[in-house]
Amino acid sequence: MTAFIDLYTESGTFLHRMDPRVKIVAVATLSLLALIMSHLVYLLVLTAVMVVLILLGRASFQKTMLAFSYVFRVMALIVVLWPIFNPGGTPVLFELGPIRITEPGIMAGIATAVRIFCLAASWYLLMFTTSQRDLVCGLVKMGLRFDFGLSLAMALRFLPTFSAIVESIKDAQRARGMELDKGNLRKRARDYVAVLVPTIITALKMADMLSLALQSRAYGARSDRTYVRELKMLAGDYVALSIAVAVFAIPATAKYIFSIPL
Amino acid sequence: MRALDLRNVRFRYRGSEAAALDNVSLEVEKGEFVTLLGSNGSGKSTICMLSNGLIPHALPGDLQGKTEIFGFDVKEHSVAEFSTKVGIVFQEPESQLFCMSVEEEVAFGPENLAVPREELRERVEWALELVGMKGYNDRSPFSLSGGQKQRVAIAAALSMRPAMLVLDEPAYALDPVGRVELYQVLIELKEQHGMTVLLAECDSEEAAKYSDKVALMKDGRVVSFGKPRDVLGDPERLRSLGIMPPQVSEVSALLKERLDGSYFSFISVDEAERSINEMFTNRKRGSKP
Amino acid sequence: MIPRVPPSANQDKIISVHGVKFVYNGGVQALAGIDIDIRRGDYLAIVGGNGSGKTTLAKNMNGLLRPTNGSVTINGVSTSEQTVAELAKVIGYAFQNPDHQLFCSSVVEEVRFGPLNLGYPEAEVAKKTEMSIEAMGLSSVKDQPPFSLTLGERRRVSIASVMAMDPQVFILDEPTTGLDARETDDLMEGVDRLNLDGRTVVLITHDMKLVAKHAKRVVVMSEGRIVLDSDPRGVFTDLELLLRSKLIPPPVAQLAHRLSSLGVPRDVISPEELVFHLMSGRGALE
Repeated sequence: MTAFIDLYTESGTFLHRMDPRVKIVAVATLSLLALIMSHLVYLLVLTAVMVVLILLGRASFQKTMLAFSYVFRVMALIVVLWPIFNPGGTPVLFELGPIRITEPGIMAGIATAVRIFCLAASWYLLMFTTSQRDLVCGLVKMGLRFDFGLSLAMALRFLPTFSAIVESIKDAQRARGMELDKGNLRKRARDYVAVLVPTIITALKMADMLSLALQSRAYGARSDRTYVRELKMLAGDYVALSIAVAVFAIPATAKYIFSIPL
Repeated sequence: MRALDLRNVRFRYRGSEAAALDNVSLEVEKGEFVTLLGSNGSGKSTICMLSNGLIPHALPGDLQGKTEIFGFDVKEHSVAEFSTKVGIVFQEPESQLFCMSVEEEVAFGPENLAVPREELRERVEWALELVGMKGYNDRSPFSLSGGQKQRVAIAAALSMRPAMLVLDEPAYALDPVGRVELYQVLIELKEQHGMTVLLAECDSEEAAKYSDKVALMKDGRVVSFGKPRDVLGDPERLRSLGIMPPQVSEVSALLKERLDGSYFSFISVDEAERSINEMFTNRKRGSKP
Repeated sequence: MIPRVPPSANQDKIISVHGVKFVYNGGVQALAGIDIDIRRGDYLAIVGGNGSGKTTLAKNMNGLLRPTNGSVTINGVSTSEQTVAELAKVIGYAFQNPDHQLFCSSVVEEVRFGPLNLGYPEAEVAKKTEMSIEAMGLSSVKDQPPFSLTLGERRRVSIASVMAMDPQVFILDEPTTGLDARETDDLMEGVDRLNLDGRTVVLITHDMKLVAKHAKRVVVMSEGRIVLDSDPRGVFTDLELLLRSKLIPPPVAQLAHRLSSLGVPRDVISPEELVFHLMSGRGALE
């Protein structure tokens, strides 16, 4: 479960060292870029850039493949299904009854699949080069209300704890003869009550305790607060920020203002 | 001015019929190390929650009598106001560390009070050093051992620069080594930094060794309060209160029973060794013709 | 250190652990080669600090974990051929945190859960449930929801729910943590009785006072290995080993060692014994 959230692998690449706020902006601009471009060639160029960045970030091949396994499946599905549901245009390549496959249909399908890859890749770039700590810090410094930032941070911090607690509860119930993976749906639903109830009770107790701890340390005492961590934008960060914005701004202007087909 | 002054305090949790505290009077002087011993439900936790204002502000109920923390009436000041005077550590390490790194955890309290960043950093380093967790700034709480978590919890309370540290069964979830390390930190805080320490416990061994004063509690009342030597010497009595007596006090009790004129009452291994050796030397001298 | 195996090695072995190594998913090796035989009727304490591997070993015994190398046989059958549920018929495991187990609306329902899962007929389930509830002193609270009970009572509910499955072996993980003196005595009384009735009891704990008082055999673990397997006396003779294994010897044992010049032997495990030796050692106190 935590594998989906904790993709971060520590490393010293420039991507890792980049200010998290810049990376958050970059995810937004790259995603938007992928969405506005429709020409396959440009999308493939963007894809190549993403792949290069992932390589520069020294992502682990195994982890990347694991993370993208679902993405690839979705992409394959789109390539296959898109032409079937978009039979417009010429030349027609194949016809059988109601099904008509056209070249534009296939190209659009491939373009959409590639677009999905780019979206996923931009998120992946953010997640594997930015620690959860930096992510939340960046969001808060960008204007996310501290309360929300704290809630997010706490949720992330307690995920592995709760994973372990749920495992422990499952073990305890298994040791009482409960077999979670057997039986019909009704039985399994009842079995999960045996896991859910202790989990919820434990969670409620912890929440109670946490609330006392927060209050004991003056949480909410004042409307202003300071932060021990600071995020400083260095020259390189500003450069990266400019590139991230330009990379979107220029094509967007070209496409929407100058009507250059992209 | 006392660190904690309770006079005829009665408290009933909202929705509960039984009194959690029933006419309790207790004084904790500044710089003292006081242990509250009692069985589960004796009221020791309640006193801990009262010491920084969680009772009555966060845990509502019917509070009567006088409760003053460093001279301030508990009813008239908020938990936030007390947070710079009293730090509290709870028994479950996991439920009181909620930040993603040790550094953020320890800085959290002063951050809430808008302490400037430079000072935040200083306080974090100072607190971590005091608890022996220097250099752990970037570690996540999840990756720490139970003992380490508790020490971080102490550091997180210390960064508020309180004058009193209150701990509710802090060694509950720890193994023997973690327990020893925890108490070492507390002793150092008291002896080298003048910290007042108020501790709730079930096991009397450490109380016997380290406390200035011990309070025995039962059913919301303080049954006995005084120096460890005076309060912990009777194992029968402690057991009847649901408290595990110091093991060597059972030795002294048996010696009193079986030996005429044995008046020693010891509660720690060091004391026991000294007293018994003394007993032998005296007897030897006594039995010389 | 040559482990001293207690006498009566002729009793049949109920749990046999051969050359077991265990490595967790992340690569951490928790067990570095364990060989141990537990005989029917043993009253055994497995002690060690955090990270010694004692809980990992216990979970290898009831199938929650499977050895990476080596084998565990229960009553002669390897655990690799049995599911956790099947093993639960023989080995009852009471977890340290009862709140990780309790979910029913009454104590009775909670205790019934185990035997029901094991497929016992209703009459058996009712009988076993009643016996366990009584044995653990829970008759007065049997219709209350477990969550409303004190920690000591919840622990006893957890053990009762394991008892009701009628296993031959009881593994109890830190059963006395957080209990006060009276609750500890009540609980251990019940556990002692289990052993008197012929069940095998395995206590996982780091409370050496408890071990001295109740266990008949002590296995000291450190860093994934067994470093000593002996009766309590044998264990308390070697205080340095205990300290190295991150355990604190009971104060009475520490005192006995310091008074050895007065004729007190080093294997004293109770206050009564210590006083006895003081009174009779070299006659100096008479």
